[in-house]
Amino acid sequence: MLVWGIIIVYVITAVIIAFLSKQGNQKTMASYFLGDRKLSGFVSALSYSATTYSAFMLVGLAGLTYSGGVGALGFEMIYFMGVSLVAIFGPRFWLVGKKYGYVTPSEMLGDRYQNKWVAVVTAISSCIFLIPYSAAQLSGIGYLLQGVTNEAIPFTTGVMIATILALVFSYIAGIRSVAWTDSLQSLIMIIASTIVVVLIVNQLGGISGFFKQIESTDPQALAVPGNGYFDFWTFLGLTIPWFFFSISNPQVSQRLYMPKSMKSLRQMLLGFLAFGFVYTIVSVVWGFSASMLFPDLENADLATATLLASEYIPSVLGIVVMVGIMAAAISTIDSIMLTVSSLFSRDVYKNVKKDTSDRKQLLIGKLFIPIIAVAAFLFAQLELDLIAVLSVASSAGLIVVVPAIIGTFFWKRGTATGVITSVSMTSLLVIGLEAFSYQPFGLASGIWGIVVSTILFIGVSLLTKAPEKKADEFLSYIQERMKS
Amino acid sequence: MNNKEKKWGLFLLIIVLSAYIIPYTLLSDVTKWYGSYFLWCVFGLIAIIANFFLTKDWGDEE
Repeated sequence: MLVWGIIIVYVITAVIIAFLSKQGNQKTMASYFLGDRKLSGFVSALSYSATTYSAFMLVGLAGLTYSGGVGALGFEMIYFMGVSLVAIFGPRFWLVGKKYGYVTPSEMLGDRYQNKWVAVVTAISSCIFLIPYSAAQLSGIGYLLQGVTNEAIPFTTGVMIATILALVFSYIAGIRSVAWTDSLQSLIMIIASTIVVVLIVNQLGGISGFFKQIESTDPQALAVPGNGYFDFWTFLGLTIPWFFFSISNPQVSQRLYMPKSMKSLRQMLLGFLAFGFVYTIVSVVWGFSASMLFPDLENADLATATLLASEYIPSVLGIVVMVGIMAAAISTIDSIMLTVSSLFSRDVYKNVKKDTSDRKQLLIGKLFIPIIAVAAFLFAQLELDLIAVLSVASSAGLIVVVPAIIGTFFWKRGTATGVITSVSMTSLLVIGLEAFSYQPFGLASGIWGIVVSTILFIGVSLLTKAPEKKADEFLSYIQERMKS
Repeated sequence: MNNKEKKWGLFLLIIVLSAYIIPYTLLSDVTKWYGSYFLWCVFGLIAIIANFFLTKDWGDEE
């Protein structure tokens, strides 16, 4: 069968690339989890893109466009503009990462606020949201493969393939093999999905024909709130957590420690922006096309699968994109697995157990990777309500660390008690709001997350004593280096 | 933050706020390609250009 053929070609190519990426021995935490802080700009950019853009883009964003029209483009563009935060925070993460040898963002917070419990609490809070998020990605792959192949690849088989591949890619050479296989995936995906969109738009009468058709069949799709799907408060609630994604999500903020120079960091940022811009437009046009070609789908998330299986796309291309979507989910999951295991070994294990060597932490981290994989696999199988809640809450839940991160670089008065209180209390608040689908005053959990965590962080910090010596040393180093 | 960061940061902040406000006010009845669709695309491009200038002096010191 063609599907299996293409999956096998993908697996073989990716495994070869993963082995080729191996360079030297990954015997330290920094080499295994950060590629020795020596990644080039090109690989960093593609890998950053692959990690950020999960299966959500071509399935979820296209589905969102299908249901709500152009508001989906606005949502993704606000996220996209939020990545500009890397231009401000990127060099700061990078500088202090090199100076103090940080491996994880939580480790940085713990050191900056001079309290190991800051590292423990922020690391655990990230893990609580990221593992269910990976599980949701896995079930996404399961359903997609099952749907497109007419059950030839059953749900469990799809989930299992993805879990094993994510595990293999992280094990071969840590972040290096993840980054290189990510790059392969994102290159194939951007090319294949662009071809699909060009083909479809051509069949719909070129760019002008495409827009004329939307303007005549569903004009409301070109404005917000349009059909009402994206009313302003929904839009705000969706976009606020994603605006801060680049500094709130450790699997991407950890990337800020990896480029070999500021120049590489810049290439990573600009490369990602170029990639993201094209990919966003492709996904949105994709959703619009599906809404014109198949206006009566029961479930908007089927838009992509229906389009790929339709007569408008050559079947080989459809399957390549299909496998590409699977690879996109894998490239997100393997990065999350590595980040979560580094958070566990560096921030939880190291701080709870005294006097652990770097080697021991690496061993614990490596042992933890399959545990996360199995947990995510089981969560994906069981489809527990709580897991679904945590996964939906993940973007809002991770936002609670944002005030502490901003304070790290810009507020001397921030304290450890402030961070611990704001992160733990607000995480619980967000989980509670999501669990009971409760939106006080009509505002989504992400908005409450950022507002409440900011108030708690500032309020509690002002009442407690700041680590003045460390704050002075830390901030004056950055100021000195960022002068120009 | 140095001056360059302040200048471009403020500029980006204005663009982001406009990306929220304009589509929901001035363009909420414009159901054409040159409405919100075009605006958000242009703002995305402006963000790329702003980042290009903001990061222009980042060196290759390792």
